[in-house]
Amino acid sequence: MQSWLQNRWTSLSLLIMALGGLMLFLYGFFPLKYHSGTLAHMDDLPNFIDGISIDGHEVYKTEENSVILMVIDGLRYDFVTDEYMPYTGQLLKNKSACIYVSVAEPPTVTMPRIKSPQRKKEKAQWRRTINFWRDIFAMMTGSVSTFADVALNFGAPAVRGDSVLRVAASRGRRSVMYGDDTWLRLFPGLWAEYDGTTSFYVTDYTEVDNNVTRHLDKVLAPDEKMKPSFDFLVLHYLGLDHIGHLEGARSPMIKPKLLEMDAVVKKIYTAMQKWDRAGTLIVCGDHGMRDAGGHGGASPAELLVPLVLARTPLFQCPHPAGPGPTVAQVDVAPSVAWLLNAPIPGESVGRLLPALLPSDLRQHLYLLHVLAAHNARQGVPTDAEYYKQFQRAQSQFAHYLATGQQSAAKIAKDFYEESLEAMSKYLSEQMVDLDMFAIGIAVVILYFIAITLFCITLYSLQPEQTRKTSTGHHRKSSAGLFVAFIIVLIICTIILVISCFITETKSQFCSFNSAWILVFALTACVLTMSYFIAKTAIENTKNLTTLNDFNIMDYLLIFGTVFHSWSFFGTSFIEEEHMTWYFLWNTLMLFILLRTVVVVIMYVGKMFIGATEVQEKPELYKKMDFNIGLLPKWVLLIALHRYLRTMNQTGDRWLFLPDTADWLNAPENSIYLQAHLVIGTILTLTICLWNIRYMNNVMHMHTAFTIAAAVCILCYRINTKALGSPFDDIQSWDPVTIVNFFWGVLIAQFVFEILTYIGTFKICSIHTGTSRANNKFIYNKPKAKREDYFYDPLVEEPWNLDEVKLSLARSVSHLMLNYIMLIVILLMRPHNVIMVPSVFITCMLTSKCLDHKLLDTRPGRNTDIVDTLSQVLVHLWIGQVFFFYQGNSNSLASVDLGSGYVGLREYCAVRVALRMGLHAYGGPAVAGATLFAHIATAPSWHQYLQTLWRTVNIFAVHRTYAVALYCIVTVFFRHHLFVWTVFSPKLLYDFVATVFTIQALTSIAQIVGLTHFTSWLAKTLTYKSRL
Amino acid sequence: MFSLKNQLELRKVTISSLLTCIYLPSIVTVVSFKGLLYSVGNGSSFYILVLIFLAELLKSFYLNASNDIQAKRSKGNRIKVSDILRSFIFLLVTLFSFFIGIMLFGAPILDCHEETLMLSSLMTLLTVFPLIAHSGVEASMQQLFGMKNYGRDSITEMLVNNSIMTVCGAWIGAVVIPLDWNTPWQQWPIPCYLGAISGYLLSNVLTVFKVILMSAAQKYPVINFIVNFLNTRHHVK
Repeated sequence: MQSWLQNRWTSLSLLIMALGGLMLFLYGFFPLKYHSGTLAHMDDLPNFIDGISIDGHEVYKTEENSVILMVIDGLRYDFVTDEYMPYTGQLLKNKSACIYVSVAEPPTVTMPRIKSPQRKKEKAQWRRTINFWRDIFAMMTGSVSTFADVALNFGAPAVRGDSVLRVAASRGRRSVMYGDDTWLRLFPGLWAEYDGTTSFYVTDYTEVDNNVTRHLDKVLAPDEKMKPSFDFLVLHYLGLDHIGHLEGARSPMIKPKLLEMDAVVKKIYTAMQKWDRAGTLIVCGDHGMRDAGGHGGASPAELLVPLVLARTPLFQCPHPAGPGPTVAQVDVAPSVAWLLNAPIPGESVGRLLPALLPSDLRQHLYLLHVLAAHNARQGVPTDAEYYKQFQRAQSQFAHYLATGQQSAAKIAKDFYEESLEAMSKYLSEQMVDLDMFAIGIAVVILYFIAITLFCITLYSLQPEQTRKTSTGHHRKSSAGLFVAFIIVLIICTIILVISCFITETKSQFCSFNSAWILVFALTACVLTMSYFIAKTAIENTKNLTTLNDFNIMDYLLIFGTVFHSWSFFGTSFIEEEHMTWYFLWNTLMLFILLRTVVVVIMYVGKMFIGATEVQEKPELYKKMDFNIGLLPKWVLLIALHRYLRTMNQTGDRWLFLPDTADWLNAPENSIYLQAHLVIGTILTLTICLWNIRYMNNVMHMHTAFTIAAAVCILCYRINTKALGSPFDDIQSWDPVTIVNFFWGVLIAQFVFEILTYIGTFKICSIHTGTSRANNKFIYNKPKAKREDYFYDPLVEEPWNLDEVKLSLARSVSHLMLNYIMLIVILLMRPHNVIMVPSVFITCMLTSKCLDHKLLDTRPGRNTDIVDTLSQVLVHLWIGQVFFFYQGNSNSLASVDLGSGYVGLREYCAVRVALRMGLHAYGGPAVAGATLFAHIATAPSWHQYLQTLWRTVNIFAVHRTYAVALYCIVTVFFRHHLFVWTVFSPKLLYDFVATVFTIQALTSIAQIVGLTHFTSWLAKTLTYKSRL
Repeated sequence: MFSLKNQLELRKVTISSLLTCIYLPSIVTVVSFKGLLYSVGNGSSFYILVLIFLAELLKSFYLNASNDIQAKRSKGNRIKVSDILRSFIFLLVTLFSFFIGIMLFGAPILDCHEETLMLSSLMTLLTVFPLIAHSGVEASMQQLFGMKNYGRDSITEMLVNNSIMTVCGAWIGAVVIPLDWNTPWQQWPIPCYLGAISGYLLSNVLTVFKVILMSAAQKYPVINFIVNFLNTRHHVK
């Protein structure tokens, strides 16, 4: 266990296991079993009921129908009264129409007040799409959608499964749509005729509706055979919702709007009466409206929406007057499908609206049977009571068919209705059911791993000597250890198995399938391993005196990092996470500013009082000089951050405020935007060129490569018209070629670096005469041999292998930093390009200011360990802060889809996802790369490895801690109203962040591996050549 | 740290803190009864600053007054016009740096200048002004930024504590501004303004509390533990 504990990459592997735990958690939270994608056919209709044959097609068939679905956004139940909608009220009164109470899903995304400039259109579009998704999905497919549906359909919001529109189209029905274009994006290619209105301007509440109504006269007018030109018409009215968002439900503008809607209903109904075929009008709201603004969503006023059903000719509502029975939104789908004489959509779990059921008993029962059989096919447990009820109903129906007994029909009807109700409920609930057992196990795993990583980190923060001495004591035989491991493993497994059986869970985790048994065993292994590592770490952690060196900024960093994860117990702290980070970062900047001022005043004071002291100590003088230089730089940095903070408004509450990016993107300010772009690119180029000093810049090849890459980026910008230029030719180039050329340059640079390391260009460099002083990558014999050379010739290396390893690691780390910066500025939006050099400058300046030796008046103390801790934490903070500066937030709406397609001709899931991820996490990536490059400038190879080890540990513990705590928060709030809007997207963001952390640490591990490999190669080759 | 050695200083500290504990809450109470609490950022609330200024000036007279007749005479002679002028200019500079600093740390840049100016004047009044009135420009700066080799008496100690707590109060007050409570007082700069005042008040209350504890500790030595704890907490800073 000792060797595991001391291994540099233990924490990385533990982090990977934590990712596994997180995946288990996500599995429990968003089970992926759902939409099978079954498509319905007419041939699916059953032709035998319990052995008695019946002609399915014949019985199922309805008269010819035209269905009009009129969706009024924001229509709430108490609006459908005589007062607001007189004509509809009249229809209800004389029983020509029925009214139902329909329970809407809580809104998925709260609609912001957007008075938006052009750029926010995309964001608004996303919010609206996700918002409508559930309602439209429920009405058209007949099944409840889940978060996974939205998240997995990212970027392509079309419904892939079966829907009313698909079955209607397959039966040759004409569907027409007028209204919000979300419908078109959800069901592309299924409309015979459409006019989608795009409306992101909430202030517009007349034009949106006029755009829908103006088509009505034409489309409702019957042809010469007195038949309408469509079979299924969807009208979506948005104006009411817009008024509600602007003024609330008590606004005086509501009434005229509802009267307008009433006029539309009247127009449709009178038109329907003239037709020569049956017409059905369904008027419904998709969600209600609250009385005033602000958050909310679960109040009855918002959840209860009316559903009005009117039919011609000869329709008498069977229900008594009053509020009407309760139905579900999913009931619309099978009803419409049946009216259109099309099969019920494959995944529908709904029922028919009661008033639609025909009076013919045979058809009535057959329809109930079709629905019940349809639902029963979708994974209803066969041992449940309602399934047995269904079977009993079936046999009664068969009995009726055979004998024609009315009593049997009555019993069958009751049984069918009972079982249908129970099955619908079961299937709808199953969609939102959580696998609590898997979630619990995942949380336990994450928690254990977090504790273990914490122990490892504490262990690694000890001074080196203490660690070495403590190793000697515990020498156990490996066999004993192995036996102990097995025993604990068995205990873990037994505990897991027992808990499986005690909780009587239905979770897949306890199903002991071939695949799941592997997961089960892995869980037991992970728990055992983390137990052993933690135990060893605790036993060996004895000397934590280094932690006494903390100053107030370290405490702030640690406290801030710890507190930030706990703040997620408040929903608005998730939505406005950027505010937490801005506040913490500002506090840190204030502390550093005050300390710099203190140090300056202190040294100036010393200079005045004890001039001798300063003269005697040159290092004190140097320190003073340095500090006085630092002060103005730091003030400028604060100003820079103040500017960057205004660049992108993010979060939820203040999103609508105009920001600098809007101003820059306005056409009249394009010159400033271009200035930002050029300054950002050139600064990045300068930084890259400055970093080249750590590489083997033979014949200035690296300089040339970097400049070429930067020129590629500029060409790309000119090509995409983000940048004006005098060269018109560039406009005509292919952007994909430019980007490919950019990748080529980067790869060539890397290959060149490795080649120089091997020594291919040694001769060239001598010829050119630039024999540089830091001729780094050449193996030398050390000049002075050690005294104990003979005692340990194998360990004591006569070659300067370590130095060469270090310089290779240094050069590759800096190369990586350069690459990340260049790639990120290629992907960034033009106004955000300035972020990349800002991250680097911030990192450099902050790491200078946080140096513990700056304030420490006692010289000669070893503060490396504390330095590492504060450096890592502060780089994590900088990454987070820039993540939000860039305009990201914890909602799916802020993901920039455009960056995914830079330099791509067609959609390729992996590439798009990688680009989008790197773009979103550009800030953290650059900050992390800067940190690792900074570590690589350590004076010796040994020290580099030590620092790297601590850094990796801290990274891992931070990530796991955040994830473990957030998972607990999510479990805690799993029934919260905002679980979809706020908690789940953040979970996905955390998942991606974990993946990227693992990726970053793995690439560092690869760099170290590369140095070891080349060193081994060189050693073997050299030994051979000597022989 | 406070010591019991100089009883006179200690008495002055206690009494001035008690005075603050009385006059500051009364100002705030009167203002809030008038219904003007949410307009503290406007220029119309300038009279609050004037009141605080006068109170602080009187307090500093009291603090500087000495029972020693000789010292009184010599000090009385030393007050010069140039000193006052210098302090005034220094106060203006501090006001301006507060103004810039508050903007740099997140106040609106393009508008709300009036509000920011009121906040920065309040901060100047509560942090730097009492120190300058007590010990002059140069000494006060060095005391504020932790020159420990300077002889610090209890009075200076209290004043420095006050200014640090004021800044902390204003800083923490800013936390509530972005929260979604939709209350009328989440306007810039009301939370910071009130935060600064409450920080100052809290610091004075703590001073009184500490002095009481120390006096009690003479009778009941058990309390010494708490006093020591408070003292060590302070030294960390």
